[in-house]
Formats: sequence, C-alpha cells, structure tokens
Amino acid sequence: MHNHAPFDPDKHTNEPQLNQLWNNISHELRGSLGESAYDIWFSDFRLGSVSPEEIVMIAPGTMYAIWVEENFKNSLSSAFTKFLGACGRIRFEVNEAASSVFRAETDAAEGNGAGEIPARVVPRILVEKVSEQKLLERGRASGLVEIFRFGNFVPGENSELAWAAARAVADQPGKTYQPLFFHSSCGLGKTHLLHAIGWESLRQRPKSKIIFVTAEQFANDYIDAIQKNALVPFRKRYREADLLLIDDVQFLGRKEGLQREFFHTFNRLADQRKQIVLASDCPASEINELEERLVSRFQWGLGVEIHRPGLETRAAILRRKRDDWRMAVSDEVIDRIVERVRGNVRALEGALIRVAMVATLSDEPFSPEKVAEVIADICDGDESRQVGAEEIKRAVAEHYDIDVNIINGKKRTARIAEARQVAMFLVRSLTDLSLVEVASAFGKDHGTVIYAVKKIKKRCEDSAAFKSSVELIKRRLVRGGSPMESPRASRNSSNANPRLGHGAKPVDFEVE
Amino acid sequence: MKFQIEKDVFQDALNQVQHVVSNRTTLPILSNVLIRADELGLELSTTDLDVTITKRVSAKVSSTGATTLPARRLAGIVRELPASEIDFEVNADNAAAVRSGPSFFKILGLPASEFPVIGEFGEAREFTIDQKLLRDALRKTSYAISTDETRYVLNGVNCIIGEGMLTLVATDGRRLAMVEQDLEFPAGNETGVIIPTKAVNELQRLLDVSGELKVAISDNQASFELNGSLLITKLIEGNYPNFRQVIPAQANYRVTVEREVLLAAVRRVSLLANEKTNSIKFAFEDNRLAISANSPEIGEAEEVIDVRYTGPRLVVAFNPEFVMAPLRNLDQDEVFIDLIDESSPGVIKIDEPFLYVIMPMRVAG
Repeated sequence: MHNHAPFDPDKHTNEPQLNQLWNNISHELRGSLGESAYDIWFSDFRLGSVSPEEIVMIAPGTMYAIWVEENFKNSLSSAFTKFLGACGRIRFEVNEAASSVFRAETDAAEGNGAGEIPARVVPRILVEKVSEQKLLERGRASGLVEIFRFGNFVPGENSELAWAAARAVADQPGKTYQPLFFHSSCGLGKTHLLHAIGWESLRQRPKSKIIFVTAEQFANDYIDAIQKNALVPFRKRYREADLLLIDDVQFLGRKEGLQREFFHTFNRLADQRKQIVLASDCPASEINELEERLVSRFQWGLGVEIHRPGLETRAAILRRKRDDWRMAVSDEVIDRIVERVRGNVRALEGALIRVAMVATLSDEPFSPEKVAEVIADICDGDESRQVGAEEIKRAVAEHYDIDVNIINGKKRTARIAEARQVAMFLVRSLTDLSLVEVASAFGKDHGTVIYAVKKIKKRCEDSAAFKSSVELIKRRLVRGGSPMESPRASRNSSNANPRLGHGAKPVDFEVE
Repeated sequence: MKFQIEKDVFQDALNQVQHVVSNRTTLPILSNVLIRADELGLELSTTDLDVTITKRVSAKVSSTGATTLPARRLAGIVRELPASEIDFEVNADNAAAVRSGPSFFKILGLPASEFPVIGEFGEAREFTIDQKLLRDALRKTSYAISTDETRYVLNGVNCIIGEGMLTLVATDGRRLAMVEQDLEFPAGNETGVIIPTKAVNELQRLLDVSGELKVAISDNQASFELNGSLLITKLIEGNYPNFRQVIPAQANYRVTVEREVLLAAVRRVSLLANEKTNSIKFAFEDNRLAISANSPEIGEAEEVIDVRYTGPRLVVAFNPEFVMAPLRNLDQDEVFIDLIDESSPGVIKIDEPFLYVIMPMRVAG
C-alpha cells in the first residue's frame, strides 16, 4: 500500500487527460475481455473524475452500471491499477442520454412509457450543487470536524471491514447496516470514520440533517433540557436527524435515565430508517450496566472491530501524515518509528512530531539510528507492550524451570515438548511474527507451529488449570516493563484467536 | 369469543398465513396471528408490516370476538391435536382454552387492539388475472431476483402492464429473467410496480392452477385476492432500471437442446465446478455439447450431450447455478440457447414469450 508513487489528485481531472486515461483503460479492457464484450458493455462509458479515493465512471444507463459493476469490477480495477498505480473505489453515475449498442432495437420498445424508466435509482447524480463553503458550514454546525475525511483515512488490513462498512453507510444511509457499531481501543480511527461518514453523507445529500455528538454531549444536552424544562426541542432535534453519529457510547453505561431517553431516540430513528452509527471502546455487550434492550439493539446491525494497525499500515499512515504536514522526514526514519511504536495512531503521530522537531532543531542530518533515542519514552508508555520471541522463550523456560537452550533444542520429553509448544503458542498470539518467522525463531518448520498452536488452544479449552497457567505466563510477559497495563488490553489479548496471525485478525462480524 | 372448527381447515389456514410472521421479535405482536370470529366464520391475519395476509375460513362461532395468539406455536399445537374437531374459548385476558378430544391447551395471547392496522388503501386500479398465468410468470422469473439489499429496487419482480401485455422481470446484475404474456387490458390502466421478494414468495404459495385473482394496485401498495385469501403488500418505491439495455438484440448462433437432459448433465458436472470461479465450460460443436468442469485439487468431470448446433466451435463458461435455475422452472421439453460469441451474454429462450440473459464468465486460458 505504501510503496506506490503518490500521484497528484489533480492530475486527472481535466477532460483531455481523462480521455487519454480512458483510452488506455479501454485498450487494456479490450485485451482482457475481448473486443465484442468491450463493445457491448463499455463503448459508451466515460470517465467522470479520478482521484486517489474514487474513480467515477459515467454509464449510459442504470442497468449498464449495475451489470458492469457486478461482472467487470475486477477487470476495471486491475486496469486502473495498471495505469494509476492504485485504484480507489469505483463509483458509477448514470447519463441516460448516452447512446447504446442495443438501443437500435430497444428504442421502439422504450417509447411505450412503461418499459423506459428514467434513472432515478441512482440519486447521487441528482444532488444539487452546493458550494464547498456552504458544506463546510453545515458540517461544522452538525458537529463534524473538518480534518476527518475518508480521503485522509488510511485503511489497512486492521480496518478494511470498518472502512468498507463506513463507505456503504455513507452512500446508502439507513439501507445497509442499522446500526453500524464500531469498537476498538482508543486512537485507532473510530472517531475519524464517524466524522468521515458525516462529511461524505453531507456531500451526497447536502440537505440531510446530520448530528455528530459524543454520548457525553448527548447526556449534557439531555440534563440541560430537563433543567430548562425543554425536553420537546431536545427530542425534536435528535429524533428528526437523518444521520446520527454518536461517539463514546460506552459513556451510557450505568446511566439509567439517559439510556431510556437514548432507547427511544434510537427506536424512532430506526423505525424511520434513519442511519445510526455508534462508536465505543468495547463491544456493546461489554459496556458496563447497559440495558439488555439497548445491547440487543446495538447488535442488530453490523458490529465491526478496528484492530491495531500492522507494520505496513502504520508506515502508510505516518507517510500520509508526513505528507499532509509537509515534514522533512525520510521513509527510513518512518520505518524506524513504526517498528518501535506499535500502539495507537495518536502515539504514532506524537512520535513523528517529536522526531520531526528534533530533526529541525539540530543542524546535523537526522540519522535513523537516533529515532530510538528520541522516542524511547513513547515506546515504553505504549500500552500494548510488544514482546519478542526470545523474551517469551525465557519466560516460558522460567515457568517450566528449564534452560532456554532446551526449548531451542531437540529434546522431546513430555515436559519440554509442552514448554516448547506453549512458547510457540505465545509467540504466535503476542507478536506480529508470521508463521514462517515463528517457525524460524524455533528452528522448526511452520507445520510444527500450526500443530503446537492448535494443540495448546485445544488444551486451554479442555482444562481450565492449564489455561490459567498459560494465562499466567502471558500476563507476566505483557505486564513486563509496564505495570500500567489496562485490564481491557489484557482481556483483548487473551481473547485473540491465536490461530490467526496478523493480517487475519478475528473480526466481530455480527449480522442479523 | 368461542368457536368450533375442523382441525384440517384450521391447520391449512394457519399454514397459509404463518410464513409472513417475522422472525425478528422487535414487536412481539408481529409473531401473533390475529383471529377474528364473526357470524360467518373466522378471519386469520398475520403481518410483518410490509406484507399482510388475511384468510377466511368457516367455523361454528357461538360468540364473536377477536384476539391474537402466537402463530407458529399455535400452528404447531394444532398440527398435533388428536381429534378432528377443535373447541376454542378465549377469555377477556386473551387466554385461549383449546380442547380437542382428550387434550387441553391454554395459550396466552395479546389483545387484538394491539395488532397493527394495515394502512389505508389509496386510489387503486383493479383488475382480474388468470391465476395460472401469474403463477407461471412468477415461477419463471422470481429466482433471478437480486438479494443485494443495497440495490433495493432489484429486490423484487418488476411487473409492467401495458401495450396489451403483462411483463415480469427480475435481475441481479448477472442474469435477467423476463416473461411477456399477452393480456387483454382496458386502455388507460397501464402501470408498472415492483413487488418485493417476500410478497412474491407468499403469492406463489397462494396461487392455484385454475381460477382468477383480483389485483388492486395503488401508489405504494398492492393487494391480491384469491381463494378466500387476501394478500396486501407494500411496493418497492423507486424506478426499475431499463432492463432492455442488457438484452442482446440478435444472436449469431442458436443451440437447441432438450431441457431435462441439459439440466441433469449440468447438475452432475457442477459437482466438480471450480470452487474459486464457480464456473463450468460449455463447448458447442457439430451437434454436440460437451459440458466440463475442472477443479485443480479435486478432479474433473465431463458429459457430452446431443444438441442441434451447426456453427463453429464455441466455448463459453457459465455459473452452473445460473444455468440450472431457469431450466428447473420451465416446463417446455426444448430450450434454445442463443449466442453471439464466447464473451457476450447468452440468452435462453423457449417457444413462448420468455427469455433469460446470462453473463458468460471468462474462460481461463
């Protein structure tokens, strides 16, 4: 994701360039699909606009748009990737005036009024033009923060699902996931996505009523309304929203009156098919003292967890930030930072700012080696202290009271084999290492690791005693340098499915 | 409320209405069947707020009234009752006492007043259609309805009445099924509506092979009255896209094949369809059709059947499920497959006004 050449978003907006690009793409499609398929489906398509996030194609009819999207999306995106280095989301707009291949025969049939039906199905093209300035004002009045847009969110394998769900909801509020519920620990992009849904929704439907609040603001408004005896305007405001975005819903926990009010707001909006998007730092079922009926409503739609970003995603995020903030920091330095800071995005940004500042203050060129020194305290404070394979081996060896070298060795008595398997299991679940990397850390092949992980997992399921001893080692490891470890983080790590490595983290996917 | 009813009659009626009952228990009353007893008999209604079915049955009513009882549970109990007659008595608290032979059940219900009232039917056009005609047309098209909820206008069958024809269309973006039936129709009543999937399914359950049904269509609702049942459904709002855009104008080659032979062969070969691409190959050549599948890690299958085809060798890949769906729902002995070339949409036709457009998949290599 991070190694394609960044290209100028303005590069492909004027017509001659779009035409040139479309010629190239057409040529590519003729090659991959064949002349006749190209002629039938694509001869009347045009390019509307191209930006890193989104490619808009103009289709000669709604049905064309639907069939092309269903059948040729992959061909299209690989053609675009070939010429642009990347391919954003492909979106179709419809221009019914364009001619069509089958038109010759169908013109007559369409004349009867019943057969020909205008393209009201794609409402986006009917969006009235509202100036950017107006949109900004409306967005701010809705509580949206300007900088959080889809355009500057860097989706990675940790957030793909959340990203896709957010886009779907912004495109079709109330029709896809109701409600959409994001959860993750802090600083991983929930709030960013909430705001981005708001902005995109506003762009597509400038007249819609959008409200962004934190649950705390909602509570304050509510208390305020009670004190001033003004519940009616309060309810009117919230219950007539087209899109309600609520951040930090975990704040509702333990507040009965507030929950009751929110319950009714939720029901009203859901009944009217208005979109609700919620974000919380834990799954709905784990919010403290949240009424059962609210929990079940939160679980109606889609619950998506945003995971910690992997190495590549962290690097992509920081490069993006660096470009946005125009910092003179080399890719190499960024790579060093992301190796050390593994926690949330805010910590990453903090580290980047610190490094950039130190770099500007000193006259000498900033060497990547200095990164460690400059951000040492940030790494330590990072809540998800990462442990290495060697450290895990030592801890396991200590627990089983054997020498570390024995774990690395070839002895296979029951106790040693068990210790080795536990160590593999822990390395797999606590580090980002791939199967092959884990295997090489133990001098075994990856099949052995898979077997070990499976076996330990099974034993943990079968025996509570065994499980608690594994947990004990794990806790010691995770706490290691940082006694400040929060209970939530440790619970999450113990829930992690150890069979899935990074890049395939388990996802809460609840669709009713 | 008190009445006596024959077990079989009651069971049939419950079976017809109970499918509407929603599985989501957002509103408990929606899992209930409304039972209304008047001098003429019983009226049973269920609704999920989108689709409502009402069924009239005869019963010996000794005291009139109305209540609601859990539909699925009631149907389950009635099915198991030992005697052919059932006595019902419902008290003011909506508790129903059910007696049949030696069995006694007490079932707790909810007041009829809580049952949602179906919205007023606005100005409607009414007409009658042959049941068999509608039944066949729905059967030939409904399997192609899209299940992709983001394209909600495609989540139903598009019905167009006009030009002396009844046209039914369903598509999901990879295939399209269309029936055009001649229909005598008074001028000025042209209309086009999208009937949602659930209503289509329920309607197919109710339709018989003979008799007529009465249809009423308003702006946002439609009702179908047949065989003592009334089905009211919301219509999908929005415009159905112009489906004629994706129907190829003319074909270069025609293959004639026996429907059941083709269906059976595709079904067998599809057992080894490539799991990744989910496609099987159709090679047409010299009055023969070789259907083959190749799954790299599982194995291969091939079956050759006789067809009528004299064009050049053509190899086209299709999703086997998309080929079988229309074949299962047609009655004709012979079907035609019209082809332009290896990468253009194919069209399955019969000697009646039906067509089915199917997208080929790319053949590897």
